[in-house]
Amino acid sequence: MTLNRRSFLQASSVAVGLAAAEAAFVRIAYAQGAAGTLRVAIAKPAGNLDPQSHYAIWAIQDLMFEPLVKYGKGGQIEPCLATDWKIEDGGKTLQLTLRQGVTFQDGTAFDATSCKWNLARWMGKDQYSWMNCSKYFESLDVVDDYHITLRFKEAPLALMQELSYTRPVRFLSPKSVGADGKFIEPVGTGPWQQVSADDTQSVFERYNGYWGDKPSYERLEAKVISDPRSRVAALRAGEIDLIGGFWVAALTPEEAKQLETAGFNVAIDPGNVSLVMAFNPDRADALKDQQVRKAISIGIDRAAISQALYLGYAKPAGNLFSSALPYAGKQHDAPVLDVAAASALLEKAGWTGSPIRSKDGKPLTLEMVVSPEAIPGSRVIAEVIQSEMKEIGIDLVIRTVDHASKHTDMLEKKYDLGFFLTYGAPYDPFGSVVQLCLSTFKNDVEGKLVTDAANLDPLINAATAATGDQIEPTIQKVYDWLYDNDAIAPLVYVPTIWAHSKRVQGFTSPVTEYDMPYEKIVLAD
Amino acid sequence: MDKLKPIFARLNKFPRVALVVIGLFVALGTFAPWLAPQDPSAQNLLQGGAGPSVAHWLGTDHLGRDTLSRLIIAANTSLVSVGSVLIIAMTIGILMGTIAGYHRGWVDDLLMRVVDVGLSVPSLIVALAVIGIVGPGYWTMVLALALAWWPMSGRISRAVAVSIMSKPHIEALRVLGASPWRIYFGHLLPGTIGAVMVYATADAGTAALAVATLSFLGLGIQPPTPEWGQMLVDALPYLESDPRQVILPGLALTAAVIGFNTLGEAIALNRIPKPLTRRMLAMRRIEVAGWGKENSDA
Repeated sequence: MTLNRRSFLQASSVAVGLAAAEAAFVRIAYAQGAAGTLRVAIAKPAGNLDPQSHYAIWAIQDLMFEPLVKYGKGGQIEPCLATDWKIEDGGKTLQLTLRQGVTFQDGTAFDATSCKWNLARWMGKDQYSWMNCSKYFESLDVVDDYHITLRFKEAPLALMQELSYTRPVRFLSPKSVGADGKFIEPVGTGPWQQVSADDTQSVFERYNGYWGDKPSYERLEAKVISDPRSRVAALRAGEIDLIGGFWVAALTPEEAKQLETAGFNVAIDPGNVSLVMAFNPDRADALKDQQVRKAISIGIDRAAISQALYLGYAKPAGNLFSSALPYAGKQHDAPVLDVAAASALLEKAGWTGSPIRSKDGKPLTLEMVVSPEAIPGSRVIAEVIQSEMKEIGIDLVIRTVDHASKHTDMLEKKYDLGFFLTYGAPYDPFGSVVQLCLSTFKNDVEGKLVTDAANLDPLINAATAATGDQIEPTIQKVYDWLYDNDAIAPLVYVPTIWAHSKRVQGFTSPVTEYDMPYEKIVLAD
Repeated sequence: MDKLKPIFARLNKFPRVALVVIGLFVALGTFAPWLAPQDPSAQNLLQGGAGPSVAHWLGTDHLGRDTLSRLIIAANTSLVSVGSVLIIAMTIGILMGTIAGYHRGWVDDLLMRVVDVGLSVPSLIVALAVIGIVGPGYWTMVLALALAWWPMSGRISRAVAVSIMSKPHIEALRVLGASPWRIYFGHLLPGTIGAVMVYATADAGTAALAVATLSFLGLGIQPPTPEWGQMLVDALPYLESDPRQVILPGLALTAAVIGFNTLGEAIALNRIPKPLTRRMLAMRRIEVAGWGKENSDA
């Protein structure tokens, strides 16, 4: 047979047609296999799910493990494994009524004994002293099968909030731990039980013995897709149904916009995590002067950053916490860009000259450390700030580092300016205030946003010791100190972005960045 | 004008498109600060991603910076970094190669085993390791790439040096009692440099790509210096909504790499020895006749 133009064209069009048909067939096959399965993208393998270890993806742990109480919208504490609780003795005693008829996924009953076993694994241990309820823990008494009493040396601050955390507080079946106390397999009381888990995906099946509202679909697959663009492509190809969440598989505003244009549903929540810029006066002498800090803060165009980089989804921040959080304090407007005022402040502080200001022959050069891996989009924000600082005569040098180096550099304070993310609900406000701002608290992961042993520490200690009506005015003093001293520069409140296919109906954004939003979802045929 | 003729005749033998591209690259790179119509770092966030206009001929990037100016300044960044990488790598490589080729014996064995080790590790991995230890930055990147690049030129220059050393005129020089310095600097080094430069041209494209790759990974040139690889990675999120932002730096990089590769190939092909012309033969005969005279004088 000779190959002429006609036969070549025929053969190639057949080949193209076959390829297209196969692609369509694969899509149909995918959709059929997916009936009753919610497929979620995760950016990395779920990891060791032991609630007492610190590596797993929170939202995956949330599928299987439940707390005593849940953190609801606006910080409302809602019953979960505990149906009722009473705080007595000025906050030093907690009486808990446990839910009856709850079983772990391996059939073990959830009662006072298994509850005590779980709490004894972490409460009162040094390693968990970052939680007040663990730090002040005194004793735990089993009253009867469904009642326990917890006693504390001092009233723990935000006790119920702490009991809603994902780790280490969530409940694990006593049988899922070996005789040596080591974690073997993840078994909780939650609506999902793990079928398999490897580096490519974690598969869960609905736990039919679940005490609460069971999900309307049978399977949930968390597929590991580390590259952001591949995740978006997978959603478009119909291989996954749901992506997003800051700690699950973050979506950028630009990707969200593109998906929305392509006909996908995008849910954007104002979010409760703040992006804050830290000053390090210990390394850069210039930053010791409040006028310089203020000049930098008002030299940044937050509105433009929000508009250009977050496509208007992020709200410019004037506070450490957004009003979405409890005890967020009086809300100040975000500082507005004012080049003239910033320049005047720098002049007043003795930094003069152009294009780069100097004082006593020393140029006003500051180094900003960024890690786009740790804080997505931070490098571009740094570039914008670099250009805005140039306008007011500050030479900003950007040093890009990887995720691991970011943690070591921030811990060792090897930066003049750096970015921090607050922890968000349910940890805040106290989580970020204590861990990022209290000098006596050892934070081995993020380092410190701002510390001042003489002035700030007493205010934080007073706020954390306060109870009832006193909490609000005492923590306000912390916010006021930060605001009055221009000790930090809040930039934006980072929005929570999720996108899903038309298959997913009834989606609502999760209350915290640590939850998986599976609850109200109904899968369409 | 007549003097320029042979140069033009030589240039005529090279692929014209490659010459034009490389010429443009070198010219833009050299005169970039004067050629760029606007400040490449001047941002206008509210004009981000704007299409071509009278003010911005090639449009703006996501931060509203003029794309044309950034492309031109990036040519300068690439030219300087690629040039520095090659100069450092060639200096180390040629030194090692010529010493090995001149000395032979155990020195040759030792140096060539070092080169073997260098060649066995992929250059980008060496560069990544160096950057990992020292930390990212412009000059770290240049140094890291140079360290990764030298073994190749070391191997080539050794081969050239060995062939030069075995030529009769070197033997003649030795017999005449020329000092090692004279042989090395007067005859071996110039000959080797010429040959290795050819390979350097072909390598320039790969080096430009490596610079772009490192910047793409965020390990090379730090903002706000424009660089093609960096521009690519910055534009990636907009691949779908505004492909122009990705295509332009991609095209610039592709043109430079293909240009260097084609040019390198052409130079290498042109160096294949050709039969001597009748005139050249006559010249040589006259010169050789002169030698006899010199000897009789002595």
